[in-house]
Amino acid sequence: MKSLRELQESFQRGILAGDDAVLAEVKDSDKEKREVLFGVYRNAYVARLAEILAEDYEQVHAYLGDDRFARLATAYIAANPSDQRSARWFGRHFPAFVEQNETYAKRPEVAELAALEKALADAFDGPNAEPLRIEELAALPPEVWPWLVFQPHPTARRLTFATNAADIWCALKEETAPPKPKTLPEPQAVVVWRQDFMARFRLLSPEEAMMWGEAAKEVRFGVLCEMVATFAGEDGAELRAASYLKGWVDTGTLAGCRTEPPPARPDRSQLR
Amino acid sequence: MTGDKPPFLGFGLGLRPQHYREILDGTPAIDWFEVISENYMVEGGQPLHMLDRICERYPVVMHGVSLSIASTAPLDMDYLAALKKVAARVEPKWISDHLCWTGVHGVNLHDLLPVPYTEEALNHVVDRVGQVQDFLGRRLTLENVSSYVTFGQSEMTEWEFVSEVARRADCWLLFDVNNIYVSAFNHGFSTDDFLHGVPRDRVVQFHVAGHSHEESHIIDTHDHPVCDEVWDFYREAVTHFGPVSTMIERDDNIPPLAEVVAELDHARSIAREVLGDRALGQGRLQAAE
Repeated sequence: MKSLRELQESFQRGILAGDDAVLAEVKDSDKEKREVLFGVYRNAYVARLAEILAEDYEQVHAYLGDDRFARLATAYIAANPSDQRSARWFGRHFPAFVEQNETYAKRPEVAELAALEKALADAFDGPNAEPLRIEELAALPPEVWPWLVFQPHPTARRLTFATNAADIWCALKEETAPPKPKTLPEPQAVVVWRQDFMARFRLLSPEEAMMWGEAAKEVRFGVLCEMVATFAGEDGAELRAASYLKGWVDTGTLAGCRTEPPPARPDRSQLR
Repeated sequence: MTGDKPPFLGFGLGLRPQHYREILDGTPAIDWFEVISENYMVEGGQPLHMLDRICERYPVVMHGVSLSIASTAPLDMDYLAALKKVAARVEPKWISDHLCWTGVHGVNLHDLLPVPYTEEALNHVVDRVGQVQDFLGRRLTLENVSSYVTFGQSEMTEWEFVSEVARRADCWLLFDVNNIYVSAFNHGFSTDDFLHGVPRDRVVQFHVAGHSHEESHIIDTHDHPVCDEVWDFYREAVTHFGPVSTMIERDDNIPPLAEVVAELDHARSIAREVLGDRALGQGRLQAAE
């Protein structure tokens, strides 16, 4: 008689690898053969995980259609047995899987669409933080502004797309015909985050994307303004930087700010 | 393990995200909620916010799907820690999961897989329930699952196995009326034998649900309304066990809240016919306060 461990290993191989050895351990019922009855478990495994992927990657599913999505999902399920207790995380490797999939190597918008859906899902139930409010900033005296550093909301993630995947996502979400996929002349930066209880994303201009990237590294506002001036000209640079900052605050993309103290002036008495 | 038998809460529903708004904006006739433990093992956002709002208004019990109590893989302490964290937030009336396994070798098959009814499996499960109960500091409630195959090596009936687990591990039982109906059809046993085979004092909850009939076997899909045969068996269960916290479980093809509440009312009316005023649960009273 097989031990419980051996029986479970055999049962699992029967589901994952189609190994029929387990059939020697189970019985026909009065009404049905064991192959059919064990098949309930085999079928349920793939069907359940495919359903989870279709829910998690709703727009990829809509974009590819049932048949193509089913083939992709089946390949993913075969390559990635779930190692998580919660099905919430089963599809987390899907964007990378699509990116590396031969069929979709020439359709990079599909992997980017998947990456956007994953980022939105991650933002949806990611960590909580109170957003930075405009009143908090307004209350600060002007002299501390150059020394401000900002903390992005903990759900905020930046993606960079080579294709118009974001436009495709928007059209699919509206249940309208998606635009034809195309490679963009310049990479498109996207920031994904949660505002209130809604996962959202915004497209950033190259200048705003540069400033966001530096701000996320806790570069202080005075330096951010200089970087904006260098990026696209000194005229109105501070205004442009302030307007990007206001946009981040208005949309809850920041969770806080603090003042980085200016470096202490050297004590002249100690200088020779 | 200490602690009194959990109270009779009345008539509850499985909390599903599709119904969050309707529940919180209205006053549906629901006495308590069962929440899927794994759905709230997340860091923040709407799921935990809604969970907190529900817990403010209703008695809540937690129901897991991946404890894998019968697996020969080591207990997943990260999972148990996450379960304990959700429990600290919810303060559930009880915590349940299934008398099954979900995978070995680090794999989760996301299914409730059957156990051979052997002395070896019994000892294994009893030992693991003890460890989990010690870790959680409370008794566990275990549910009988629907199954499609029986093992040649089984040495006892399912109800003997379930009952022995409850007695030896000193845990509670979730009597899933639908699962017993499904397994009885699939394996050709009598639902009455199961009903009379489990210890009455261990049963703290009923599940009632729908299924899919495939002629030669029934699949436990939870995507249909409860059928007449399952309602008949529910009536027998209420007659036999008395007042037991009852819940309608719908996991797929989820209808508007009113439709599930109507099914819950049906359960309530059956219990009322059988038990009279004893069918009015504590949960109803607590929710009304």
